[in-house]
Amino acid sequence: MSSDTITQAVSAAAGGGPELLLDARNVTMQFGGLRAVNDVSLQVHTGEIVGLIGPNGAGKTTFFNCLTGLYKPTSGTVFFAGEPLPPQPRLVVRTGMARTFQNIRLFHNMTALENVMVGMYCRTKTNAIDAVFRLPRHRHEELASTERARELLAFVGLSGTENQLSRNLPYGDQRRLEIARALATDPRLLLLDEPTAGMNPQETRQAEELIFKIRDLGLAVLVIEHDMRFIFNLCDRVACLVRGEVLVEGVGDVVQNDPRVIEAYIGSPQTTPYEQPGPGSGKGASDA
Amino acid sequence: MRVVIPDELKIRFRYPARALGITGGVLMLVSILLPWAYAPEALDDMTFYGAPSPLQLFFAVLPLLLILLLAIPLVGKQRLGKGAKVVAWNTTAKTASIMSLIVVAVAVAAIAIGLGGLVNVDPGGWLALVGGIMAVAATLFLPDSPEPTLYRVKSPKWLQILGIVVLMALLLFGAAYILGFEDADDFLMFAAFVVGMVMVLRQFGVFGWLGIAAAANNRILVLSAFVVAFAFPFTQNGSDANMSVASQVLIFAATALGLNIVVGLVGLLDLGYIAFLGAGAFTAAVLSESAFATIKWSPPFIVTVLIAGTVASLLGLLIGAPTLRVSGDYLAIVTLAFGEIFRITMNNLDGNDGPNLTNGSNGIPGIPDLNLFGFDFGKAHVILGIDIGRFANYYWLMLVVIALIIVVFTNLNHSRIGRGWVAIREDELAAEAMGVNTFALKLLAFAGGAFLAGVAGSVKAHYDVSVTPDQYVFLESAFLLAAVVLGGMGTVMGVLVGATILKLLPEKLRFFSDYRLLLFGLLMVIMMRFRPEGIVPDERRQLEFHDTDEELAEEVEEELTSHHAHLYPEAGGFVL
Amino acid sequence: MDLFFQQLINGLSLGSLYALIAVGYTVVYGIVQLINFAHGEIFMIGAFGAYATWMVMGQPTDWSAPLSILVLLPVMIIGGIIASVAVALLTERWAYRPLRNAPRLAPLITAIGVSVFLQEFVRLFYGYIPGFPDAKSAIPFPSVPGISGETIQVGGVLIQMTAVFTLAALVVCWVFLWYYVNRTKTGRAMVATSQDPDTARLMGINVDKVIMAAFAVGAALAAIAGVAHGLRYGNIDFKMGFLAGLKAFTAAVLGGIGNINGAVVGGLVLGVAEAMATTFIPGQFGSSAWKDVWAFVLLILVLVFRPQGLLGAKVVDRA
Repeated sequence: MSSDTITQAVSAAAGGGPELLLDARNVTMQFGGLRAVNDVSLQVHTGEIVGLIGPNGAGKTTFFNCLTGLYKPTSGTVFFAGEPLPPQPRLVVRTGMARTFQNIRLFHNMTALENVMVGMYCRTKTNAIDAVFRLPRHRHEELASTERARELLAFVGLSGTENQLSRNLPYGDQRRLEIARALATDPRLLLLDEPTAGMNPQETRQAEELIFKIRDLGLAVLVIEHDMRFIFNLCDRVACLVRGEVLVEGVGDVVQNDPRVIEAYIGSPQTTPYEQPGPGSGKGASDA
Repeated sequence: MRVVIPDELKIRFRYPARALGITGGVLMLVSILLPWAYAPEALDDMTFYGAPSPLQLFFAVLPLLLILLLAIPLVGKQRLGKGAKVVAWNTTAKTASIMSLIVVAVAVAAIAIGLGGLVNVDPGGWLALVGGIMAVAATLFLPDSPEPTLYRVKSPKWLQILGIVVLMALLLFGAAYILGFEDADDFLMFAAFVVGMVMVLRQFGVFGWLGIAAAANNRILVLSAFVVAFAFPFTQNGSDANMSVASQVLIFAATALGLNIVVGLVGLLDLGYIAFLGAGAFTAAVLSESAFATIKWSPPFIVTVLIAGTVASLLGLLIGAPTLRVSGDYLAIVTLAFGEIFRITMNNLDGNDGPNLTNGSNGIPGIPDLNLFGFDFGKAHVILGIDIGRFANYYWLMLVVIALIIVVFTNLNHSRIGRGWVAIREDELAAEAMGVNTFALKLLAFAGGAFLAGVAGSVKAHYDVSVTPDQYVFLESAFLLAAVVLGGMGTVMGVLVGATILKLLPEKLRFFSDYRLLLFGLLMVIMMRFRPEGIVPDERRQLEFHDTDEELAEEVEEELTSHHAHLYPEAGGFVL
Repeated sequence: MDLFFQQLINGLSLGSLYALIAVGYTVVYGIVQLINFAHGEIFMIGAFGAYATWMVMGQPTDWSAPLSILVLLPVMIIGGIIASVAVALLTERWAYRPLRNAPRLAPLITAIGVSVFLQEFVRLFYGYIPGFPDAKSAIPFPSVPGISGETIQVGGVLIQMTAVFTLAALVVCWVFLWYYVNRTKTGRAMVATSQDPDTARLMGINVDKVIMAAFAVGAALAAIAGVAHGLRYGNIDFKMGFLAGLKAFTAAVLGGIGNINGAVVGGLVLGVAEAMATTFIPGQFGSSAWKDVWAFVLLILVLVFRPQGLLGAKVVDRA
C-alpha cells in the first residue's frame, strides 16, 4: 500500500473534521504486584488507523481488555465519543467499539453467517414474545440481518462461505470472519488484536487492503501487531508500548527511527534511563 | 466386538457367504411354521405347527428383509443401475442378520426363563437360532458397502408426504401395540424387534431420506404428528389403563422439554427443575376447589395456569439472578440446593413450623378434576362411538401443553435469542465481547423454562388428584435430566423419545422397577462416555461433544446445507 | 450465655463434619475444576465400609473403652478409608478421566449419574453380603465404648464425646493436610497442577497421578467424616451422602472453592451458623425444620455478595 492511499483517505475523512473517538486517559491496570499497564494515554480519531506495537508482554492485549470493558482499569478513565466507557463488554459494544481476538474466538460450531448474525445481536430488538409468536418484528429483523450478514461476508471477501461451519474455514478466512462479526456490531471504532498473526505475506496484504476498506467506510481502527512492515504501511499513527508504558507515539517514521523503540525490540548493550537491566529485559527482544 | 476378516477371504468366499446368509434367512422364515415353545405361557402362544403367532410373524419381517438384501444384488450391478449405490446392501444385510439373531435370542431366553429351562425351547426356536447364527456368520464375510445415499435421491412431493404419513401411522399403531402388552417378555421381544427394524431402516438410509422429506414438509410433519397423537386414544377401545401411562409420559415429556431449553439450548445444568413443576402443582392445588386448599379463592383454570407459571418463573428469577452471574458450575449445585429448599419449605408450611399453606407432608388431597368450557375431565365421554375416559382427557390436554412448549422451544431456538444461546454455549466470553447480553439470555432461559414447568405442574396437580412434597424430590430431577441426556440435548424429538423410553420401560417391565434408578445412574454415565449427544442428536451439539472429529464436522455441514435450515431462517419455526 | 456456648460447640462439631467432606470437593475442584457430585456418596460409602469392617471383626460390642478407642475405632476408620478411596479412584478412572477434555456439562452429568448409581448400588446390594443387614432402611451404627453416649460437662455446657471425636479428627486431618500439601512431593505437585496443569505436565509432573491423589485424599477424609457421622447420629443409610454432600459443598463455596483452609473455615462457619439459626432465629422459622433452608440461603447469599468465598477461591470465573 502506498502512501498516497493514506493521504487520500485522511483528507477524505478530514472533510467532516476528525472527531475524537477514543480517549484513554492515564489507564493503569494492576494485577497483584504486577503493573501490566502503567499510565497509558491514547487518542483515536474518526477515520484514523492507529497502530499499537510493543514486544511480547508489553501489555498491549491487557490495554485492549481495559478498553473493551473486559477488565476494569485500576485507575484512569476511558472516554468514548465524549462519554466514559460503561463497565461491561457488551455495553462497550453497544456504544460502538468492537474487537477481534488474538487467538481466534469464533463460535466454531456455528456457520459463518450465524457468527456474523451473533454480532448483530446488540443492534436488533426481537424479544422472546416476538420470536415465540413470530411477530412481524421478528420476521423483518431476521430477513434484514440475514441480508446484512451476507453483505458483510461479501465485504470481507467471504462470499460463498455462508453455510460453512466456521471451524472448517481456513485460518486466514477465520480471521476475516472475526472482522466481519465485529463489523456486524456496527462499530465506530474497530480494535484488531494481531489480525495477521500466522498469515502468509499474501494473506497479510489482503488483510491490509481490508483494513483500508474498513477505514474508508469512516471507521477508526486500532491495530495491535508485531509485523513492523505491516503496521508502518498501514497506520497513520503508531504508539509503542513497552512494559506497560507508552514509549513513543507519533507518525510511523518517527516511531520507527526512535532509538528507544529499536532498543526495546533489539535490545541494547547499555542501560538507558528508560530501562533497568534485569531478568526478562531481553525477553521481548528475542520474541520479536 | 468388531470382527475383522481379511479382504482376500471376503472376496474368495463372497458367493458362498451370500448363499449361506440366504439359507440362514430361509431357516429363520421356516422356523416360524414350527413351534418355538413347549407350552403356551411364554411369550404369545408359539406352540403350533404352521400357524405362527403374531410375535413370530413380526419377527419374520427381519429375515425376509435379510433374504431380499442378500438376493437382490445377485442380479448384478448393471441391472441394478443407480440402486447399486443408493443402498448399502451388505452393511444393511449385516445389521438385519445381527438384529434377527438378537430377537431370536431374546425369544429363546424368554421361553427358557419363563418355562423353566432350555428344554422347553422347541425345534422352531432352535432352528431360528441356528439360522440366525448362520446369517450373522455369513454376513460378516461380506465386504462393507459405502454409506447409503438414499437421501440424495430426488423424490416427488407426494412421495415425501406419503413417507411421513406412513411413518406416523406406524408410530401410532406401534405405540398402541406396545402399550397393549401385559407381559414383560412379550414387550421385550417386540421392543427388540422394533429396535431391529429401526436399525435396519437406518442402515438402509430411510431416516436420512425421511429427514430431508421432513425438512421439506415441516408443517405437514408436525401437523400429522399431532393428528396421530390426537387419534391415539381412539385406538384403545375405551380402555383407560394405557391412557394413564400415555398421559404420564406426556406430563413427563412436557417437563423434560422445558428442562431441555435450559440444559440443551443454553447448556446450564439445572438440578432443581422438579421444584418448578412442584411450584406449579402446589399453586394450582392451593387455588383449586379442594376442601383442603388453604386459599379459598379458586380462579378459573386458565388463570390458575398463568399464576402457576408466573410463580414458578418468579422462583426461577429469584434463584437465577444471583447465580447466573457466577460460573456455570455453581448453578448446578445451587439449583440442587434450591430443590431441597423447596421440598423442605413445602413440608414445613404446615401451620406448625410455619404458616399453613401446604398442609405439610400430607399435602393437598382431593383436587377436583378440571372442567374447561363445560368439558368435565373426570368423566368418560363417548366420541365416535368410543369411550374416552378420564386419562384420555388429560392426555389431550397435555398434548396441547406439549404443542405449546414445542412452539416456544422451536421458535426461540430459531431466532436471535437462540443464536445468542448457542453463542453462550460455545464461548461465553466471546459472546459477551460481541455484545450479547449473556446474563439476560441465561435468565430468560431459566425463568422461561421454569414457567413451562409451572404450567405442566398445574395440570399435573389435577391429574394426580393430590399434591405432596415427596413427589418433588431430587431423584425426579435426576430422572428428568436422564430423559434429556438419553434423548438428545437440544432436540424436541430426542426428549420425546427419551421421556417415552424412561417412563414406559419401568411401566412395562415391572421386575425392573426396583433397579430403575440404578440403571438410570449407570445410563447417564455410559451416555456421557459413549454418546453424549443422545439418541436423536442435535447436529451442533454432536460436534461440541466430538470436538476433534473433523469428518463429522464436514458431514454436519453437508447436512446443514442440504436442509437449507438457515438459508431461510423462517423455515425453522412455526407460525401461529 | 451457656446456651450460646452449647450451640457453639454443637455448631463446631457439626461444622467439623462438613469441613472434612468439604476438603474433598475443594481439592478436586482446585485441580480438575469438577464439582464431584458423587463425593457425598463417597462419604456414605466410608460409613458403610467402616460398618462392614466392624461386621468382619465379629461385631465386637463389649470391648473396654481404651481398647475400643485405640484399636476398634482406628481399624473401622481404616476399613472405611479403604472402601471410600477404592470407590473414588474407580469413579475417577472409569467415569471422569475419559471426559477430561469434554464440554463441562458432560462430567457434571456423569457425576450425577455416579451419585445416583452409588446410592442405589448400596441400597440394593449391601444386604446381599452374607450376614449383613439390608441397607434399604437405616442401619444402626455400632457404638464405640468410651465415645458413643459419653459426655463431658464443662461449666454449664454439655459436650458429647462424639463431638470431641469429630473436632479432634478435623484437627488431626488439617495438620496432616498441611504437611501433605506443603512438605511432600505429591502435595507440591498438586499445588502446581492446580495452578497450571499444562505447565505442570511439561515440568514432568504426572498429572493423572496427582488427580488420583486428590480424589484419594478427599475420599479418605470423607470416610473419616462417615465414621464420625455414624457415631454422632447412631445410624447410617444410603441417602446420608446427599444432604451432607450438599452442605459440604456449601461449606466449600463459603470458604472459597479450591482453597483447602477455606473449606475447613467454611465448614466450621456453616456448622455454627446452622446451630445458631435454630436457637436465635425467633418464631416458627427458628425451628430445626428450617435449619437446612438457612444453610442453603447462606450459600446463595455468599454467591451474591462474595462469590470468591471467605478466604478467596482459586478460580471463580475463568476469563
